[in-house]
Amino acid sequence: MDTLKAGDAADVEDAVRAAVAGDQPLEIIGHGSKRSIGHAMTTDAVLDVSALNAVTCYEPHELIITVQAGAPLDEVVSLLDSRNQEFAFEPMDTAALLGVRSGRGTIGGMIGAGLAGPRRIKAGGVRDHLLGAHAVSGFGDGFKAGGRVVKNVTGYDLCKLLAGSWGTLAVMTEVTLKVMPKAEAERTLVLRGLDDVTANRAMTAALGSPYDVSGAAHMSRTALEAARGALAVLASTGQAATLLRLEGIAASVAHRGAALAAHLAPFGAGELVEGAESAALWCDVRDVAPFAADGPLGGWPVWRIVCPPASGGAFGQALARETGGEVIYDWAGGLLWAALPSSVDVVDAYAASLRRRLAPLGGHATLLRAGEELRRTVDVFHPQAKGVAALAERVRRSFDPGSILNRGRLTRTPIS
Amino acid sequence: MTIMMPASDQAVLDRRDAIVADLRAIVPGEGVIASAAEMLPYESDALTAYRQPPMVVVLPETTEQVSRVLKYCFDNGIKVVPRGSGTSLSGGALPLADAVLLGLGKFKRIREIDFDNRVVVTEPGVTNLAISQAVAHAGFYYAPDPSSQIACSIGGNIAENSGGVHCLKYGMTTNNVLGCELVLMSGEVLRIGGKAPEQAGYDLMGIITGSEGLLGVVTEVTVRILRKPETARALMVGFSQVEAAGECVARVIGAGIIPGGMEMMDRPAIHAAEAFVNAGYPLDVEALLIIELDGSSIEVDELIKRVEAIALGCGSTTCRISGSEAERDLFWAGRKAAFPAVGRISPDYICMDGTIPRGALPRALARIRELSEKYGLGVANVFHAGDGNLHPLILYDANKPGEMDKAEAFGADILRCCVELGGVLTGEHGVGIEKRELMPHMFSEADLSQQQRLKCAFDAQGLLNPGKVFPTLHRCAELGRVHVHGGRLPFPDLPRF
Ligand SMILES: Cc1cc2nc3c(=O)[nH]c(=O)nc-3n(C[C@H](O)[C@H](O)[C@H](O)COP(=O)(O)OP(=O)(O)OC[C@H]3O[C@@H](n4cnc5c(N)ncnc54)[C@H](O)[C@@H]3O)c2cc1C
Ligand SMILES: Cc1cc2nc3c(=O)[nH]c(=O)nc-3n(C[C@H](O)[C@H](O)[C@H](O)COP(=O)(O)OP(=O)(O)OC[C@H]3O[C@@H](n4cnc5c(N)ncnc54)[C@H](O)[C@@H]3O)c2cc1C
Repeated sequence: MDTLKAGDAADVEDAVRAAVAGDQPLEIIGHGSKRSIGHAMTTDAVLDVSALNAVTCYEPHELIITVQAGAPLDEVVSLLDSRNQEFAFEPMDTAALLGVRSGRGTIGGMIGAGLAGPRRIKAGGVRDHLLGAHAVSGFGDGFKAGGRVVKNVTGYDLCKLLAGSWGTLAVMTEVTLKVMPKAEAERTLVLRGLDDVTANRAMTAALGSPYDVSGAAHMSRTALEAARGALAVLASTGQAATLLRLEGIAASVAHRGAALAAHLAPFGAGELVEGAESAALWCDVRDVAPFAADGPLGGWPVWRIVCPPASGGAFGQALARETGGEVIYDWAGGLLWAALPSSVDVVDAYAASLRRRLAPLGGHATLLRAGEELRRTVDVFHPQAKGVAALAERVRRSFDPGSILNRGRLTRTPIS
Repeated sequence: MTIMMPASDQAVLDRRDAIVADLRAIVPGEGVIASAAEMLPYESDALTAYRQPPMVVVLPETTEQVSRVLKYCFDNGIKVVPRGSGTSLSGGALPLADAVLLGLGKFKRIREIDFDNRVVVTEPGVTNLAISQAVAHAGFYYAPDPSSQIACSIGGNIAENSGGVHCLKYGMTTNNVLGCELVLMSGEVLRIGGKAPEQAGYDLMGIITGSEGLLGVVTEVTVRILRKPETARALMVGFSQVEAAGECVARVIGAGIIPGGMEMMDRPAIHAAEAFVNAGYPLDVEALLIIELDGSSIEVDELIKRVEAIALGCGSTTCRISGSEAERDLFWAGRKAAFPAVGRISPDYICMDGTIPRGALPRALARIRELSEKYGLGVANVFHAGDGNLHPLILYDANKPGEMDKAEAFGADILRCCVELGGVLTGEHGVGIEKRELMPHMFSEADLSQQQRLKCAFDAQGLLNPGKVFPTLHRCAELGRVHVHGGRLPFPDLPRF
């Protein structure tokens, strides 16, 4: 298969136009670190945008950064770190989960995948921080969306569509993202030995308090033991752990830590983990460390389930019990990572039942990690209701009528 | 009226009586208003310089009625203009002579309050403030707080992606909405998102938010509510130079402090507000900042100290810190009443709304001063300084011939200047008809075509709220064609209307 390496935005336009003329669909990649997510594509060539890797403009005082879409995420993250800033949505590093080399990944890929970490409950997701983009549509036309300022309602907010679109609408060439100052201090309150449903109640109580919780996760003992890293340290007591994070200026974190502990006293005494130790815990939560490819649960397919936060505990507990799988909770119960043991022939059945049971909750499930065979059998992305699916398809066509970009990635049914 | 609207469809106008009768079969009783006198209140929104009686007003009460009305109009090629409370400042809800005005004012019920999931499910006609009031007893609130919150509907907020003082820290409407029930122009009813923190597939909610009633009619929304912070305190800081105030804003943010709100007023606005509410504003300053910090009391105390030091470093001449809730409210009272206050010192004014990068604030203000001299019209500046969202109020007298045109030209120059400084044409009020003709100043033809193609995915006949946002109407079939040979997409010379 040909790989076309774009050197600038004009190259991207040329490549897409040529592909349209010949009806030869393109696979769009940054570093290709997430190629194992989604359905096998029916593309003729690869369009690699990783050479578009410059930082165009970083203005710490404006809290914005403009970079080309192929800019390496780790370099951008270090640049922000040097000014004590960060992406507030706390992007996850999928490398360990997917079993690929760490330190790979581009900003375009981060936006295309749209996977945000634990702080999403407070700071929003990738979509909330993408202020503007230059991109090339499946018409081969360069267009711009949004701008460089936070407050902007000029025209449709096309950036929202680009985030999480897995490269199926347009090829981003340059993007502007909002950045935020890093918190001065952090502290995690750890509650012990709660079952999933009780932990969910504790997290709900924490989020309903005025103490500004910026992370709420829960893991069973098995999950903690499987993690090996910072989370494994918590496994020593042989109990499940519920983690609640507070961030801000030191005095405030101390005050809120005490107040939150008092507020959650009915769920147990709790212990406090500070600073770097706390940060390491949340990196592991963010990257779903217990299910990392080299861990004990590393071989199982992994689902990413999003549901109303207060229903997460009951849903996950039942799921784990019935399947013998392992479930990790983030976003106070709104995000479940489920590693479920299964063979290919039974997975179709449980995918359907999992999704059927999510329907009344208004939740959805994505098969984030699975072998190729499984991804051929099961819908990786959650099938949408008929009318919404039809609208989404019309939206997709309004960007890419010929299905030139990442054809086949989102759906099992080939687009005619 | 200097802005032209799409030509009326005479065939539709000729059938008016039959159409009214058909609509009455769908929405019974007082839900269909057809007499000229009764339609009067619907002639304009808060952009009152533009008025146009609609063909007929329909006020449905159920989603099913909305769906049937839209399907009827879809089948019969009739245009529809959705309307919430009519507080839009950009003419988004301005009727068309040959269109049904679809008022959502009867959708007044909050359907569900779910504290565990921290969401409220509500009908679109509920006011923004009513949502906060409904959850206040449990210590919760809905964060986006447009100054019009007592009147504007949550449906209108979705359509305009409205924001307010709190948006600096807590985001605009788009950051606080999780899902909706949407009726497409075809009458099809869809559910987008819901109580889950994230929806499956493309972020359709993100595109509906801020779409100015051009993509579909929202009949239910699910919004996030937040627990109120423990405490909030405000500083009122005066500067003898506008530039110093701008510098202070930049330094506060640069220090990693995101206030709950950071607002600025210039001398004319301060004087007007002080005369109106006696907030105790200093009258000898050129710029006044109101900076609110919220969070735990310890945090707020500490941040107040830091902000005070930054302000001093920037040469502040006065600095007062609120010692009580009453005092904090007083600081805000003037800012919140700034628009009506200016209304007392000038027979008429237009409120502009552009955003610039924060750092460009002094340059933008200098340019506005120059333009004020050039046009010979006064201007008072009130703005959301924390996020660079300017609200210059251009003072004029509609009874003086030519003044309104001058004021509009002045306003357009300000918005062009915003774009030139790296900003955008509108930060919260929307494009509507007001800034429609300026869109090409910010977007190329290719940019606008992509937006219009998206519109076609929702409303292929272009029947929903036409004439708003886009300076040129396009036929969807034309926009959908791929022209690869010769590269660029040709643009048919469709007439500007
Ligand atoms: C320090 C560090 C932090 C990390 N943080 C994150 C994080 O916050 N979030 C995260 O998701 N991962 C993160 N990762 C993991 C890894 O970097 C991601 O997998 C990476 O961002 C994806 O980029 P990629 O170029 O490899 O993606 P690819 O696998 O190349 O692409 C992913 C998807 O996006 C599409 N795409 C890629 N580029 C474009 C483009 N220019 N325009 C349109 N579509 C495009 C692709 O078609 C594909 O559908 C992190 C890694 C490190 C080392
Ligand atoms: C004094 C004053 C102060 C203001 N302050 C602010 C402020 O601080 N911040 C701010 O952002 N705005 C402000 N506004 C502007 C205005 O209040 C907002 O834009 C508001 O969101 C409009 O809501 P509405 O219900 O009045 O909508 P309308 O004016 O009735 O309609 C506005 C647009 O929304 C569409 N629409 C309405 N309801 C629906 C629906 N259910 N489905 C689909 N489309 C719909 C209409 O077609 C129209 O395009 C202010 C206005 C005034 C008069």
